[in-house]
Amino acid sequence: MTMTKKKSNKIQTSLGEKVFTVFNYIFFTVLCLIMVYPFWHVAMESLSSTSAALRGGVFLYPKGFTLGTYQSVFKNPNIFSGFRTSILVTVTGSLAGTLLTAMTAYPLSKSRLRGGKVMMMLVLFTMIFSAGMIPNFLLIKNLGIYDTRWALILPGLISAYNCVLMKNFFYSIPESLEESAKIDGANDVQVFFRIVLPLSKATIATIILFNAVGYWNDYMSTVLYVQALDKWSLQAVLRQMLTNTQQAMEQAGVDVLAQSNTNAVTIKAASIVVTTLPILVVYPFVQKYFVKGVMIGGVKG
Amino acid sequence: MDTGSTKTARAPQNRGWWARLGRDMLRDRWLYLLLLPGIVFFIIFKYVPMYDLRIAFMEYNMFKPEASQWVGWEQFTSLFAKPAFLKVMKNTVVISLWKMLFGFPLPIILALMMNEMRSLKFKKAAQTLLYLPYFISWVILSGIIIDFLDPTSGIVTNLIRAVTGESIQVMTNRAAFVPMLVVTDLYKGVGWGTIVYFAALSGVDPQLYEAAAIDGAKKFKQLLHVTLPAIMPTIIVMLILSCNNILNAGFDQIFMLYSETVYEVADVIDTYVYRIGIQKSSYSFSTAAGMFKSVIALALIVSVNWAAKKSGNEGVW
Repeated sequence: MTMTKKKSNKIQTSLGEKVFTVFNYIFFTVLCLIMVYPFWHVAMESLSSTSAALRGGVFLYPKGFTLGTYQSVFKNPNIFSGFRTSILVTVTGSLAGTLLTAMTAYPLSKSRLRGGKVMMMLVLFTMIFSAGMIPNFLLIKNLGIYDTRWALILPGLISAYNCVLMKNFFYSIPESLEESAKIDGANDVQVFFRIVLPLSKATIATIILFNAVGYWNDYMSTVLYVQALDKWSLQAVLRQMLTNTQQAMEQAGVDVLAQSNTNAVTIKAASIVVTTLPILVVYPFVQKYFVKGVMIGGVKG
Repeated sequence: MDTGSTKTARAPQNRGWWARLGRDMLRDRWLYLLLLPGIVFFIIFKYVPMYDLRIAFMEYNMFKPEASQWVGWEQFTSLFAKPAFLKVMKNTVVISLWKMLFGFPLPIILALMMNEMRSLKFKKAAQTLLYLPYFISWVILSGIIIDFLDPTSGIVTNLIRAVTGESIQVMTNRAAFVPMLVVTDLYKGVGWGTIVYFAALSGVDPQLYEAAAIDGAKKFKQLLHVTLPAIMPTIIVMLILSCNNILNAGFDQIFMLYSETVYEVADVIDTYVYRIGIQKSSYSFSTAAGMFKSVIALALIVSVNWAAKKSGNEGVW
């Protein structure tokens, strides 16, 4: 950068830029491998023989290929009830929650609405202050939904963050579209369902997906609100398989120790794969909606 | 509506305001109808529990709640008299600060580096993979982490042994546990953390770079004088929001990974509240602990937001 070097500056920087570019691509390639390898490792481990899994090391492919572990894992009926609960909770929760979020956000996007600002503050305040674990727990008890699947669905229906995101989006829809429908005699509810919602398909999809991830990954609600094993979410069932493999499998009538082709390590790996696979399969197709969600909402409320 | 406006013209000022309010509310009745379920939801699921924070000032009787006695600040005084709680407070702040130290700047750096890449295809593919761990639950990740750190067969344990010659049992090692939390937290969140900065970077006017280039600014100078100022508002907002999390430390993650051997360094407010409250049914005491946390978090974000606005930046609200 000094005066004497000025002549060769052009070549220097372009060389520096080239080095940086090469480094950049290598860096991100390695980083991506680090992100993906753990899942690959566990998948390959779950397909390996017990002795290979116990020896450990790098798993680029199954060592001593076997499907025996999966046969054992699927003998556990809790896996299926977990899937049933999680699918039920995720589908109803994310669909109903998104509809409610949109219904809440739409009126709040209208600056003409009397009291709208106050109600928006009511919503926003929940973003920065929450009552915490015990009062929420008591609420579930008092509502009489303890130990039911409602306790897994209801508390997560609407989040303030999603509300803000939707409100910002609705705000950007040109008023003229709604006005023309109003002239034809439609009321606000009709406008909302016939005009506004169809215009917001991409945003709606984004919110549904964000909610779905939240519900699918939710573990604490089960721990706090549900006791009966047959109503546990898949995450809770997996957690039991991970921390207490032997007991979990015994409950299912599988004696892990007596089986020559399975052990705790491979059982754990296979349980992880079974619960992760649905996400990995769907993720590449829906990933763009998540990105879109962040882009439209921005961070600002 | 027309008859309404002629009436208000004749009515005194105050009645006019009420009349207009009534007219506006009548006009928007369908909007209120749409809003109703959502507001009911927020009141029941967010504000009723806030009202129930009053049990922090009681000795809650779980069998006969209506027979609970008011005890004033007693729960809070006994909270602060407990060395265990002070330890838990310290752990919470220490863990969050370590997480912030890496978790805050790294996404910015990654986003800036990625922004320099020309190949759109590579960029898209890399982003897809980098975001992935964010969508995987801590239950699943904890399973993988425990597998990787297994004292005998874990791949990371073996790697550490190969490099240092020492066998470290990270999951039960007090010195290694918190760094492990920081690293695994980065693994889950660093990719997704870049996304808000991409949103900000995509909004930078390319003409600014051209103008800077004409003025002789090299890549690095452009970064300093064009890119960084452009994403500064986003950085500030993210910084303010992360202050709200300083007392959170990551409940799900720690809950899945910690054990009694590492309570000394890994027990945080939320895990403490869970153990005392849910497991030992000491509702009032743990509500007080949780409430203390929420109030401090609120005070933090309000004051940081105020300070940001005062110093001429955009706040969160």
